[in-house]
Amino acid sequence: MNRLVLLSTLTLGLLSFNPVNAAVIYAGKEKAIAVCSHCHGMIKPSADAPFPSLAGRDLTYLKSALAQYRDKTRKNDLMNALAGSLTDNDISNIAAYYAGLKTK
Amino acid sequence: MKTITKNLSSASLTQLAAALLLPLSAVASPTDSSKIPALYQENCASCHGADLGGFIAPALNATTLKGRSATSLRTLTMAGSFDTLMPPFYGRLADDDIRGLVNYLKETPKQPNPAWSIDDIKASIKVYVKDESTLPAKPTYQIDDINNIIGVAARGKYGRGEGSKAVFINSVTHKVIGEIPTGTAAHIIDYDPANPRWAYVKNDSAELFKIDLYSMQIVRSVKTGFNGPSLGVSRDGKYIMAGSYVPHNAVILDANTLEPLKTFELEGIDPDGKQVSSDSGMIIGTPFADIFAIALENAGQVWVVDLKEGFSVTRIENVGRHLHDAFLSHGGSKLMVASYDDSIVTAIDLKERKIIKKLEAGCVPHVGGGSVVEVDGRTLGFGTNFGDCDKMVVSVWDLDKMEVVKQVPVSGGTESPAAHANAPYVAVDIISKDRRARTVQLIDKKSLEVVKTLDVGGHAYFPEYSADGKFLYISAGYNGDEVVVYDSNSLEKIASIAMESPAGIFSHGRVRYMTRGLSPDELAKRDGDKGAK
Repeated sequence: MNRLVLLSTLTLGLLSFNPVNAAVIYAGKEKAIAVCSHCHGMIKPSADAPFPSLAGRDLTYLKSALAQYRDKTRKNDLMNALAGSLTDNDISNIAAYYAGLKTK
Repeated sequence: MKTITKNLSSASLTQLAAALLLPLSAVASPTDSSKIPALYQENCASCHGADLGGFIAPALNATTLKGRSATSLRTLTMAGSFDTLMPPFYGRLADDDIRGLVNYLKETPKQPNPAWSIDDIKASIKVYVKDESTLPAKPTYQIDDINNIIGVAARGKYGRGEGSKAVFINSVTHKVIGEIPTGTAAHIIDYDPANPRWAYVKNDSAELFKIDLYSMQIVRSVKTGFNGPSLGVSRDGKYIMAGSYVPHNAVILDANTLEPLKTFELEGIDPDGKQVSSDSGMIIGTPFADIFAIALENAGQVWVVDLKEGFSVTRIENVGRHLHDAFLSHGGSKLMVASYDDSIVTAIDLKERKIIKKLEAGCVPHVGGGSVVEVDGRTLGFGTNFGDCDKMVVSVWDLDKMEVVKQVPVSGGTESPAAHANAPYVAVDIISKDRRARTVQLIDKKSLEVVKTLDVGGHAYFPEYSADGKFLYISAGYNGDEVVVYDSNSLEKIASIAMESPAGIFSHGRVRYMTRGLSPDELAKRDGDKGAK
C-alpha cells in the first residue's frame, strides 16, 4: 500500500517536472544565491542565525511575502532594501526554488 | 589567506547602503562604550584579528578604515558581504552596538601584539578525558581503514558557534562519522603519522584540540595564541608545533599532554636588511628527519628546529618576501616555500639546510598543501597562485632538476591543488570573485592542460582526494554549505554532505603519501631503501 502511494507520488512528481519548471527553479536558484542565501542559506540558514528557514515553505506564501517586502507593505529595513530590486519573475522563481526544497 | 577577503564592497551593498541610510540615521542613542571592545573580541576578532590587524579578513582600525563612511560600514556589518565570508549581523547585534563597533574601530589604532606566554599556554590546557586508557581500542564505528577518514574544517556562518566544527567523513561511504565542535571556525586538521587514533584540530582563535578518532571526542585542548593557522606534527607523533600571527610566536608542545615545551619569538632580519617581528607561516613535520620547519612570514626566513634537547634552531635567511605555505618532496628532504611578494617558490634542501633555488611562480603564490606527481619518470610539483593579475596560471616544476616545466593557464586565481597517484587530474580551485569562484578546474597530469571545469557551487575551494584516490572532495564554501563528492575518473557528482561554510579538507591518507599526489608506496619504498643501506 505504502509502496503504491510512493509510486504514484513519484509518478506525479515526474510528470509535473517539465522543462519550464526546471528553468524556473534554476533561475530561482541563481537569484537566491545572489540575493537570499547570505542570510537564509541555500538550503537552510545558519544554526546561529536569527533568520527564518525558507526550504519547503508554501509557494503562495513565499511569493506574497516577497512582493510585500518589495512593495514595502510589509516593513523591514533589510528585506525592503533587498527585495526592492526584484521583478515579479524573480519573485516567482525564488519562491519556486525555496518551496521546492525538501525539508528533512 | 589574507588577500582573499580584501574586496568587501559590492554592487548590492551600495544599493543597500542607500536604502538603509535613512532608517539607520534615524536611530541615535549612545551605547555603553565600555562593552564595545568585548563585543569586538566575541564577534569579529577570530577573522579580523584580536589586535585589529586582520587575519583571514581585513584589518579594521583607524588606519585601514580612514575615509570609509560609517554608514556604509554599518550597512556592511548588518547585511554582510555577499562575495566573502562576512556574515550578516542583522538580528545578532543591536543597531547601537554595530554603531558603537564602527565608531570604535574607526578611531582605534591597531593594538600592540598582546603577550601570550608559555605560562598562559600551560594554564589554558583543558583535560576532557583524564584517563586515556579508558578510550576504546579500535574505532567505535565501521571503517575498513582509518586512512579513509576525511576531515573537513567547517567554519560556521559566523566563524563561531554551533556551525563551527571539524566534521569527519568516511570517504568510502561518504557518511559523517563524527563531529567535533570547535567554538570558533575550525581551520586546520593534522594527523599523527605514528598513531592512527590521534588528530589535531586548530581553530581560528588558536585553540588546539587533540581528538581521539576512535571515539570521536576531544581528549585535551590548549590555547596556543590568539590566531594563526600553522600546525605541524613530528614524524614520530611525539611533538606538535603551532605558530601564531598574534602574538608573533610559535610553541612546541608535547603531543600527548599538550604541555608547552618551548616557545620561540619570531623575529629576524628580512631580505631588505630590516630587523622585523614576524607572523608564523606554515609549520611542517617531515618523514625525512626529527625536525620541524617553520616559515617566518615577514622575516622571509625558514627555521629548522631540531627535535632534541634544547630544540636548537638553524635559520635559513633570505628565502623570500612574505612567505606563507609550503610542501615537501623527495621523501621529505626538499621543501618548496611560497613567497607572496616576489612571486617565487623557493626550494630548500632540509638536509643541507640551505636554499637550492628560487623558482618562478605565478601571481602571489599560495601553494596550499601543494601537490607532487610522478609522471613519465619526472617528479612534478604543482603550485597554485591566488593573486588577481593578468597571469592566471598554475605553476608546474620539475622537482628533480628544480626548473619550471610549464605555467598552465587557468581561469582565475587558485588557492590549493589536489592530486592523487591513482587519479588522472590535478584539481585546482578557482577563487576569483565572480561566478568563477564556483568552479574547480582539472589539469591532466600528462598533457598539463586544463581538460575540464566543474561547477561545484558556493565558493568552491580546497579540493582533496580520498585516500584511495577514487573520490574528489570539494568544499562548496561560503554560502554553498555543502561538501560535494565527485568520482575521480568520470567526474560525476555522487554525494553531498551538508555543513556550514566548509573550508579546508584533510585526508588521513596524507600521513601515508606525505604530499598529495605521491604514491602511498613512495614513503614505504624510501623507508625500505634506507633500511637496505
